[in-house]
Amino acid sequence: MLAEIGLISVVLALTACLYAVGAAVLGVRTHSDRLVVSAHNAALLTFPLLLVASVALLAALLGQQYNIAYVWQTSDPNTPLFYRITALWGSQQGSLLFWCLLMSGFAVGALLLNWRTNRRLMPYVIAYTMATLAFFVALVVFLENPFDRYWWVDDGTQTGAIVAAALQPADSFAVPARDLAADARGLNPLLRHFGMIIHPPMLYLGFVGMLIPFAFAMAALASGDLSTNWIKATRRWNLVAWLFLSLGLILGGRWAYDVLGWGGYWGWDPVENAAFLPWLLGTAFLHSVMIQEKRGMLKVWNMFLIILTFSAVIFGTFATRSGLVESVHSFAQSEIGFPMFAFWAGITVISIALILWRWNRGELRDEHQFTGIVSRETMFVLNNVIFVSLAILIFWGSFGAPILSELFLTVDITLGTEYFLNVTPPLFIVLYILMGVAPLTAWGTMSVGRLGRSIFIPAVLTLLTVVGLYALGTRMFGALLGYGIVVFAGYVALYEIYRGAMARRRAQGESLPQALVAIFGRNRRRYGGFIVHLGITVIGIGVIGSTLFQMETQQTLTAGESLDIGGYQMVFNGLDNGQISEDGRVMDIANVAVVRDGQTLTTLRPRHDFYPGAQGMNTMTIAAAHSTIENDFYVLLTGWDTIAGTATFKVYVNPLINLVWWGGLILIVGTFISVWPTESTARSRQQAPIVTGARATA
Amino acid sequence: MSTQDWVNPNDAAASASTRSAGERLKFLIGGLMILGAVGYLVISGTVTGARFFITVDEVVGNAEYQGQSVRVTGAVIGDSINYDSENLIIEFTVVNLPERYDDLALALHTAVNDPENTRMHVRIENEVMPDLLQHEAQAIMTGALGPDGIFHATELNLKCPTRFIEDGPAVPAEHPEI
Repeated sequence: MLAEIGLISVVLALTACLYAVGAAVLGVRTHSDRLVVSAHNAALLTFPLLLVASVALLAALLGQQYNIAYVWQTSDPNTPLFYRITALWGSQQGSLLFWCLLMSGFAVGALLLNWRTNRRLMPYVIAYTMATLAFFVALVVFLENPFDRYWWVDDGTQTGAIVAAALQPADSFAVPARDLAADARGLNPLLRHFGMIIHPPMLYLGFVGMLIPFAFAMAALASGDLSTNWIKATRRWNLVAWLFLSLGLILGGRWAYDVLGWGGYWGWDPVENAAFLPWLLGTAFLHSVMIQEKRGMLKVWNMFLIILTFSAVIFGTFATRSGLVESVHSFAQSEIGFPMFAFWAGITVISIALILWRWNRGELRDEHQFTGIVSRETMFVLNNVIFVSLAILIFWGSFGAPILSELFLTVDITLGTEYFLNVTPPLFIVLYILMGVAPLTAWGTMSVGRLGRSIFIPAVLTLLTVVGLYALGTRMFGALLGYGIVVFAGYVALYEIYRGAMARRRAQGESLPQALVAIFGRNRRRYGGFIVHLGITVIGIGVIGSTLFQMETQQTLTAGESLDIGGYQMVFNGLDNGQISEDGRVMDIANVAVVRDGQTLTTLRPRHDFYPGAQGMNTMTIAAAHSTIENDFYVLLTGWDTIAGTATFKVYVNPLINLVWWGGLILIVGTFISVWPTESTARSRQQAPIVTGARATA
Repeated sequence: MSTQDWVNPNDAAASASTRSAGERLKFLIGGLMILGAVGYLVISGTVTGARFFITVDEVVGNAEYQGQSVRVTGAVIGDSINYDSENLIIEFTVVNLPERYDDLALALHTAVNDPENTRMHVRIENEVMPDLLQHEAQAIMTGALGPDGIFHATELNLKCPTRFIEDGPAVPAEHPEI
């Protein structure tokens, strides 16, 4: 029954999407407000329908309906409730359905919140969002259906065969769920981690969220309303999508650090890079739209950027889900590769053609010219150039060179980690310098002398920090330079907040805390942005420390023996072998004490898990860590001998690594501040007059 | 009378135009420098980071690849895996995996069960035993084939087909009669 409910719901959702596209386009062409309203209603309907389908699949997972192929492949009778829920996005079909639900949620949210204020753009927004959603729902219905069930068919052999199909094949019998429970696959052990549980939904939210600014940009191009309306309407959507994308990337890094057991968090894997590309382009877009809002410049560039960002989203999804690249993250090679490639190529070509058409008509002319090298505009353009260059370099290394070599050379060529470690640091350095200098520049033009005076205090603080680090024992020139550049950006952010608060204090006679609250309340975008910059600074410090100063050792110890590393002592206190957990895992656990300056800081239990029921990969090495702001003491149990009573450990000391996660948290707080609506925004939304949308397009 | 009256309008326009041209030249030079720097990064990074991505057949069969840093893909023979946990040395044997296949699991299964298939011994040091290293996994290794006939890997990535190919259940012992 659940499979039928799910299947019918997704088919109805697809129908609603297609109807919404048709009605919206026809409504605009015939100036029929009724049709546009009807399209709007059909678009709104997609969310409850996809919600019903998702709930049906979730109920099937919770109810152990192993006769549904997806349930059989991602859970088993030992799967804990929590992982049963997260199995909803644990494999290709379920994650595609979940992706559709989130995309529909974003689209419906944007349609509801902007229906009154941006009626002229709405028919086109409906058409673009629903066409995109229709494509993904069609993939679910026709190629990756999570509601396929197992049927027993007579194939002429003695036992017959089990086949998976959405509709019952002729002369077949449904197989009872209980008969299939015994050899159900269960969730991939790699996915049984908190980071992996919320990392995909965050990343999906970031990806699908980019649909909204893209659809509004396309609506602006199609409708001819090329004012800043589309930018104002999507600023928050863009920030929300960027926030989720950032969260997804950070959580993915955390998952890799905890689960993959190599003491790192970013491996320049093609799929990681595919998720990083929209973040880079989206960040460039977040900055460059400010120039269009303030100065009416970069209109064409902004259109290109948002198209490239969404194009990167679709390309990343295609690369991950089609098996295009060799990666530990890839899904199965599946039939969705070609349709996704065609969709990606189609939307990119159509979007660029629309821009060129409007540009050719002279409708995307900038209202101002660049007036000076030292100006906020130039800094933002430079920032954009560096972000886009980074995206190009990473795309080339991950996809460009391998694909071109496959097409045009007799031998395939890949670019490994070394390539990324060589080409990206110079550009990240320039980005941090720009993050420091740009907030101190003025719109229009500015003299170098004035800029120098603005920079003076943050520069002095930076110099003092570097001297302090040197005095504390940091001698590596590269590290001192890196820390200097990164903390300079942070000091500028703090200095600007301080200057703003002091100006307010002088003007209003408020206390410093009151002034701080007031400036954040009055200009959330600006000061939230500075908090984001602070977060990026803290991440930068963490990356430099953990990359340049990581220490590692490996030793075999008998109970009572110890090893020393980075000022720590680790004492091995014996093994707990063959521990059985609730979900059937067999765990071999080492007990170790972490000692510093003669004091036991903590006891850790690095372990090795064995999943007896899992097919294929059935072991997991689970690291244990003692975390402080200063560093992580990170231990892996790599081997043991129960007869000899020995255990072998690989131990890392990762300096400042926790700043990467703390920086991420600061970045999230800053983005929240920027996104949070002001009273005037909420009021204007409520008071916006209702205009006749379709007529307005005439 | 304003001071502007003392300036010939044509001169002022010419001066603004010259200033504008000067600014444009600065932007052009700056843009070209950035383009040059990015181009240099791409080319130098590609030259130093490029690795041939080849099969076991190719690396074993062509002397030109010996000693050269390459990326090789192969299918892991489970029985050959030997892990020295004290010294963190992993050794195993891979067999040739064809460049193109439709079904990775099937390709791996066929490869490891073909006794005629080209084999290559792999050694990687200072590496914790990866959980994915097991029979019929796809190994993607970066390193060089030494004169000893052993592929000395510096980087090892693994792909386990059962994670990616969603096969179906076996026919239950009790099933209805058609």
